Amino acid sequence: MASYNHDTIRDLIDGQLPWQSTRSIMSQYKDDDRFFKYIDILQEQVKFNDPILLPIGEHLYIVAKQGEPQGERVVKCGCGYEFGHYTSNWKLKAAINVRDDEEEIAEIYPGRHSYDPEWMEIREFICPGCATLLEVEAAAPGYPIVFDFLPDLETFYHDWLDRELPVETIPSPDL
Amino acid sequence: MNDASANETMTVKEQLLEYDRRFRETGCYAGITELKYREYDPLRYESLHTKLRSMTIAAREMARSISASPGVREVGEMVVALYTPEGDAISLSTGIMVHVHTMSRFIKWMIQNGYEESPGICPGDIFANNDAFIGTVQVPDVMVVVPIFHDDELVGWAGTVAHELEVGGITPGGDVYLAQERFTEGLFVTAEKVGYNDELRRDYLIRLERNLRMPIYWMFDDKAKVAANLELRDQVKELIDDVGLDYYKRATREFIEEGRRAQLSRVKQLMVPGRYRGHTFFGHLTEGKPGILPLGDENLLYSIPLELDVRGDGQMHLDFEGTGSWGYHSMNCTPAGMDGGLFVTLTQSMNYEGKVNDGAWLATDMNLPLGTWTNPDRHTVATATSWSLLLPAFGVFQRLLSRGFVGRGFKEEAFVGQVNSPMVEMGGQSQYGDQFGMALFECAAAGSGALGIKDGIDTGYVGWNPESDMGNMEVWEQGIPMLYLGRSITADSGGPGRYRGGTSFTSTWLVHNTDELTIATSEHSSRVFDNAGMCGGYPAPTAHRHFTVRNSNIEQMAEERKPLPHELGSDPYMSDMERLVEGDKNVVEGPHIDKPLQSGDLFAHSYNGGGGYGDPIERDPLEIARDVENGYVTAEIAERTHAVVLDHDEERNIWHVDEEATASLREKTRNARLNKAVSVEDWIESERKRVLERDFVTEVRKMYQDTMGISSRFNEEFREFWRLPNDFVM
Repeated sequence: MASYNHDTIRDLIDGQLPWQSTRSIMSQYKDDDRFFKYIDILQEQVKFNDPILLPIGEHLYIVAKQGEPQGERVVKCGCGYEFGHYTSNWKLKAAINVRDDEEEIAEIYPGRHSYDPEWMEIREFICPGCATLLEVEAAAPGYPIVFDFLPDLETFYHDWLDRELPVETIPSPDL
Repeated sequence: MNDASANETMTVKEQLLEYDRRFRETGCYAGITELKYREYDPLRYESLHTKLRSMTIAAREMARSISASPGVREVGEMVVALYTPEGDAISLSTGIMVHVHTMSRFIKWMIQNGYEESPGICPGDIFANNDAFIGTVQVPDVMVVVPIFHDDELVGWAGTVAHELEVGGITPGGDVYLAQERFTEGLFVTAEKVGYNDELRRDYLIRLERNLRMPIYWMFDDKAKVAANLELRDQVKELIDDVGLDYYKRATREFIEEGRRAQLSRVKQLMVPGRYRGHTFFGHLTEGKPGILPLGDENLLYSIPLELDVRGDGQMHLDFEGTGSWGYHSMNCTPAGMDGGLFVTLTQSMNYEGKVNDGAWLATDMNLPLGTWTNPDRHTVATATSWSLLLPAFGVFQRLLSRGFVGRGFKEEAFVGQVNSPMVEMGGQSQYGDQFGMALFECAAAGSGALGIKDGIDTGYVGWNPESDMGNMEVWEQGIPMLYLGRSITADSGGPGRYRGGTSFTSTWLVHNTDELTIATSEHSSRVFDNAGMCGGYPAPTAHRHFTVRNSNIEQMAEERKPLPHELGSDPYMSDMERLVEGDKNVVEGPHIDKPLQSGDLFAHSYNGGGGYGDPIERDPLEIARDVENGYVTAEIAERTHAVVLDHDEERNIWHVDEEATASLREKTRNARLNKAVSVEDWIESERKRVLERDFVTEVRKMYQDTMGISSRFNEEFREFWRLPNDFVM
């Protein structure tokens, strides 16, 4: 079974590995020990010490909080900004910019590349801590914000990874 | 003796029911709970699989050289597959792997409908089908199957599908965009016995000759399909003689059970269990266009939400609840078509190694709400351009899978997904003076979505055929009365991102040597983008317009050696066709459904790029300089969207990154984002008022009325999200 060292995986996930090596990895059977090596690399890159339980996007992580309440599973940006419990949609705690007028649309989609703002709008979800653009939705006006991903952490850790999930001392709020 | 080969006395229908029962009871395909042959002698077992797969690939390659149509010959719009007697896919060739389970449905349909008794299933028979309610995706996907007998026993089926370039519908071409009911879609062959003794029936060929605008494509493709099937059949029979019938029967079923197990284990290896959600939209703009029938004379907006539930055992459940009703247009899809969408995605995202067969179908399931476009409740609806909604829908699926890949650390597999690839369908008078019809398949090379670690593929990917190829212009010019003025990369057509979406291209043509050329394009979203970005990347701009110039002065321009329009150009507000040429200029929003063109007229059509991945201001500035130099991105978008400041060395035409100015602009952009943005909580509060006032254009309001009416879950979630009163109606 394939297995790669820390630096190779770091370069791979950062898009820095030469294409020949990347392609070779893509053509091989997958390395089953990837996940925790991946977490270790991400942990080195973020600006907080809370252990990462699961990445859910670029710069977005479900972590087990070290501070009080102990082990609370919250969503954090890599800069440390906190978006609340992972069972709630992190986007609801983000900053948003909606492109629904001609001038703002033209900044990205000028002229014949544009869309009709009465039929669709671009919603940019921005980290209030570091201004990183975390997610973009293209949706009809009035369409509810999407809750992208609600992982089943217990099954993932216990059944799929055969690891203990750090204990969370507070009950999860109802969805 | 083994249990998978002990059915010689059963009819095939009884056998099919028996295997279904065993699957329900054991959870394993055909009741195969142990992979005995695989464990006992893996080399022999794998050798058989490899041989079967290479036979399907060889049969396809042979058929491509027999085929008359550039769709099959140039672009490879064909697949060959081997099935069990009950119609389960064992092995497939390369090509349009959409059809793992669509042909399976066709074979099973014949068995379930008593074809053993009438019209009979005999050695040498040939059956064909292009009815999506029986088992294909759309009317041009014509499938031909032949039974494989060993002595007197039916031991399997060889099947081939090719996408035909002309089907005799209300508008010329294969994807008949103007079809608004089944009765205008073209020529249907509905699970029909079309040949005996290895020959296509003469009366069937006459029917094709007399009902198609360009019968040569379908007729010769059918001959190629028959040849591929006979080649595969005869090779399989020889192989059975080699390995023994009992071994063949058991081992091929073990392949399927192994495929099922492999799918489950791959999900557990690559994904994270949980609930994934996403959506996209599609705008249909046909109101008032020439030729629209009364029932279909309206504009529509479709929402396509998808929920993916990845379960602890690796089973994946896809749920399309919340999408809209079927309509009087050609974009409806059948469950068979949805299977096609699922498989073409799975074969690229997960099932790219090992045994691609019906096992994966058993490890996934879908909720296709009855009455929606995914599962119409009457078989007379049109499905001729079902890819219109199907491709965006399974593009969402690719992004949901990719969210799992990112979570798990396999970012190299994260893929922002496929996009629709609008087609130019045409007909009328050919350059040779005859009647013709043609689907221009250069659309088989769009831009792909970005990956989690690199840019998308430029002008070289479509979701429905992983072997994408646009074909040579000269080949297409042989089949259509148009001359290429150019094929050009469309700058800024990929979605911006840390990794940008693949760019698309635009073709411009001079209509030539014809008095009448009708162009009806398809799979073309209007006013909204039918794709998305991911993790901070933006969608690709896919609401294209068509540009025409009638009565142009192009001949005079050529004589005077003036610059001709070879592309739309990099000015998004004024195309080169508008800037350089004189004549009656027109910009058609959405699909080109318009009066015929004739010699001397100009036409331009743009294909789609893919969505981006990650925050665009994290893109490596050197990559942007390369993009600008090569025409993938304009300098304006480089600065506005990626916050990269470039200096242009006009003499050498080289772009340099001004690093200091770029760092400063990126800092400024971050500050500007926060200054401009509001909290989501505040935005919801203000938008809530708009929702309460139903302050939306007609098409948006109609979309909500439809989806809230058809889905109580969506209705409830909509009201809950916006905190609306229980009696709120749109």
